[in-house]
Amino acid sequence: MNTESINFQSFVDWDNSPFILFSSLGKILYLNNAAEILFGYVTKKELFDLALAYAPQDFGHKTTTMSLNYDSFTFYAITIGYENEDQISIRFYNAPRVRPATPIERDKLVNTDINLLLEANIALFRTKNSNALQLLTDHDIPEFKIDQNNFSKLLRKTLEAFRASDSIHITLKLLTGEHVIIDGKKKPIVQLSVEANGRYSDADEEIKNIATHCHIAHLLKERSIKLEIPLIG
Amino acid sequence: MEQFFTRSEHVQNIIKGFNLTKTLFVSSIIIGEAHTGKKLLARSLFPDAYVVSGENQEAVEDALQTYDELIITDFEKLSNQESLNFDNKRIIATANYVGNKHIIDTLFAFIYTLPPLKERPEDTEYIKAHFVKEAEENLMLSAHDIPLSAMPVNLSKNSQSLKSAIYKYLMTHAMNQKDIQEAIHSYILKNLDGNNGYKEYIGLYEKPLIEAGLEKFGSQLQLSQILGINRNTLRKKIHEHGID
Repeated sequence: MNTESINFQSFVDWDNSPFILFSSLGKILYLNNAAEILFGYVTKKELFDLALAYAPQDFGHKTTTMSLNYDSFTFYAITIGYENEDQISIRFYNAPRVRPATPIERDKLVNTDINLLLEANIALFRTKNSNALQLLTDHDIPEFKIDQNNFSKLLRKTLEAFRASDSIHITLKLLTGEHVIIDGKKKPIVQLSVEANGRYSDADEEIKNIATHCHIAHLLKERSIKLEIPLIG
Repeated sequence: MEQFFTRSEHVQNIIKGFNLTKTLFVSSIIIGEAHTGKKLLARSLFPDAYVVSGENQEAVEDALQTYDELIITDFEKLSNQESLNFDNKRIIATANYVGNKHIIDTLFAFIYTLPPLKERPEDTEYIKAHFVKEAEENLMLSAHDIPLSAMPVNLSKNSQSLKSAIYKYLMTHAMNQKDIQEAIHSYILKNLDGNNGYKEYIGLYEKPLIEAGLEKFGSQLQLSQILGINRNTLRKKIHEHGID
């Protein structure tokens, strides 16, 4: 098969898996759209070091299975390739998202301004705690369909995990260029991130259960909780 | 429309939370001791909501079928809490205490705690002034010559005990000689019995006489002169009435 006349670049550009081509000195020669988003969460040096560490011994391509986590990105393998001394590539394989076992309960979804629910939950949090709290939110996020009661519970439990934390930072934003597939359709993602110097993890299981029930991806770390909410119109 | 007044930051945050979710279908509960203002708060925020008491399980079930916006008072008295379905409804419940923590946590998105009045001094002052004004109107008397700070503050049962103490104080302080005689007359008429009545009921007059006298004149010696009785007699009566 003669493929020389085919321009593969756009296919790589729009591949959902991050792909980066480094020079021998670690300079980025090319990166696709998915890799551009990934660089929001990991440094160039870290990925270049990873490429060098798992490069094949000789020219060619080598795939290594490993579990990699960068913020909400989870990969199950990487392929490192080099065909000359000047360039080395790394490609990440997205781990499939766990699909919630329960279908979305559409009759419970009501068009909602997510900022209202967030502010109400902050007011509730304020009745019990006086910790310093910073909120950075995007008021231009359009109304979208939310299971208001369950989502409020999720917010309450998420904030309660920070009941004894200092300087809590809450960020609500629309994730540019990222989507999630719900019922076969691409939906934009709104990310709620709560970070502090530490947090309680006693309600983590409940947070995970409610989030999964609401089809919300969750990332629970030692000092932060991130919720990725599908913007269902 | 009923209004809920507060200067407490805690309660202001509760009101803020409710105001933000006023149009949403979420379930909220206000938990706090009796007579802290839970029902008044719920009714003032949701004046058009149907109100049903948790004392009547059937009425709550019927109301849930009929209304999308509902205030359920005395929620702790509902025995079938587990089977309730609050989906796509705006529920505002009030409860004196948390019965089953797990059920409350599962049923309600917003769980607010209304602090007792002893933790809300700024509100207590306002409510006290409100009750004084109300008592003046209801009892048709004037309390202008009594400073607010002199009024008793009993918060053992929150607004109920506060109100009761203020009404009693104002009533007793507004009494003239005739009122006092009438009060004693009525009391004795109701209770006088047995074979030692004089000794038993003379204390109604003697005890406050000696207590007030000691408070006003300080020493027993001076008081015995004022009362025109022997010092030993006074001492005996102080002992009889158990006056400290």
